[in-house]
Amino acid sequence: MSPRTWLIWSLAAVTVAVSTDNPVYRGLVALAALNVLLTWLPPGRRMKPLAVALVIAAALAALINVLASHTGADVLARLPSDWPLVGGALTLESLAFGSDVGLGLVAALLAVAPLSMVLEPHDVVDAMPGPLERTGIAVATSLNLVSGFGRTFTAVSDAQRMRGWRPRGIRSWSEVLVPVVLTAIEDSVLLAEAMEARGFGAARRTSYAATRWSRVDSAVVAAALGSAALFIGFRLAGVAIDWYPYPILYLPPINPALVAGCLALALPGFLPAERGR
Amino acid sequence: MRRWTRLLTAILAATAVAMAVAALAALAPASPLVSSCAGAGPNHAALVVEHGDGSTVTRCVSFATASVSGEQLLDLSGVAWSGESFGSFGEAVCAVDAEPAHYSTCPGKDSYWAAFVARGGGPWQLTSVGVSTLTLSDGDAEGLRYVPAAGSPAAPPSSVGVCAAAGATATVAVAPTATAPPATRTSAGAAGTASVGATASPSAPAAATVSAGESFAPGVTAATTHTSTAASASASGVAVGIDGAPAPTGGSGIDFGLLVAALTGGALGGLALLRLSAGRRRPS
Repeated sequence: MSPRTWLIWSLAAVTVAVSTDNPVYRGLVALAALNVLLTWLPPGRRMKPLAVALVIAAALAALINVLASHTGADVLARLPSDWPLVGGALTLESLAFGSDVGLGLVAALLAVAPLSMVLEPHDVVDAMPGPLERTGIAVATSLNLVSGFGRTFTAVSDAQRMRGWRPRGIRSWSEVLVPVVLTAIEDSVLLAEAMEARGFGAARRTSYAATRWSRVDSAVVAAALGSAALFIGFRLAGVAIDWYPYPILYLPPINPALVAGCLALALPGFLPAERGR
Repeated sequence: MRRWTRLLTAILAATAVAMAVAALAALAPASPLVSSCAGAGPNHAALVVEHGDGSTVTRCVSFATASVSGEQLLDLSGVAWSGESFGSFGEAVCAVDAEPAHYSTCPGKDSYWAAFVARGGGPWQLTSVGVSTLTLSDGDAEGLRYVPAAGSPAAPPSSVGVCAAAGATATVAVAPTATAPPATRTSAGAAGTASVGATASPSAPAAATVSAGESFAPGVTAATTHTSTAASASASGVAVGIDGAPAPTGGSGIDFGLLVAALTGGALGGLALLRLSAGRRRPS
């Protein structure tokens, strides 16, 4: 698929995930995005770090809401009321709403994950419209720096361990973090010099091999935009698509048309991945 | 000396007669001269508001259209209230009649306004939408009760009778203690006189019926005026509470939307699991 198709698909999926509080729709968007990611994930790329980050983000969202919101009919436990902020009843409803917020985070993160896990950084630059080309380069450079920072951290900590260094409290980490930061700065300077040597900013960026727009791209873009338009249209029309579990937990309202909209986002997951790679 | 004694006796007798007349006037039924409901039209809907201290305010509102929203009903009733919009959920009730007087979050952390609806004289049900989204037709009732944030919100007193015979009344319940004796009082109303009689019942301890003027505008009764004024003062600044959200209980059988969502989610989840297991078996 074209990088621009990926960008549009990601934006549409994020739009759907954040346009509703309904956990059913958010869950379906997350599952659709997970299928797409598993289908198109290049060999050698691991899902585990992303999965760990998603679980931590969702658990934190649920925990914070349970501790901070004390509204709800079904009380699970009580903390002393004189404890600031967290004191009071811990309710099933606040746990449900916190989990819903966490599910929204998971759906949104899975929706944008292909931009860093399926596409190469230069693909992200290509996906940007002309006026946003420099923004795309900045985003791509940032994405590169994150992985580069991780590699440097691993290399420096391994080298320090071989020299007999062992972590002993917070202060001892300075022996790793200082070289890592210095290396990151050196890499940034080198990157800037390399970009300048290649004429960055002098003219519009060119590509060695231009990506072709296919019918598959058109279908995926139509499905993604249609899904986003469906949710936005329902919201503008005043149709209740949200879910608010206070004060008593209840099943979220579900509209089959919106379920179909979520399913449309899974379309790239049913395509033969080799076609786009 | 005897002349002074006679004068004193006459004064005491006149006072006793005046008090007796006043008491009889207070116990008299509501004046039939006043109109029944706030607003105008052939359709009626009731509003029942129960405050945190147990006092209740009821209103019967007339309207000409086929239906009104819960927000319109509140506006037509003359009860001072304020709310906050929550997207497609609609307007949540944050404060009614200056309860709470101040708030920083809506719904409140400790208490909130739970909203109920009763269709056609049926039992109260918690609403799943805000008052602006809630639709009321002839014979329906809207209920608001200030309840603690924790625990299941109890419904307000029944709305049966609010718009029925009484017709012409706005009801204010006072002193909701089980031992409270029936109380009476009289106050001047816009139409000349308004009588307030109190009756005790198991569900709504001491209810004082206030016959009022055509609308619940200032000057109807001391109690009503006081309430509205206080609420207006609070409405400009803040308000509290919420109305609740739960469970649409109507309908039976399997929810089609739920079935479609379950099938779709199951298919996508199963497919993801298959792909994950296939990816693990694949040699790297």
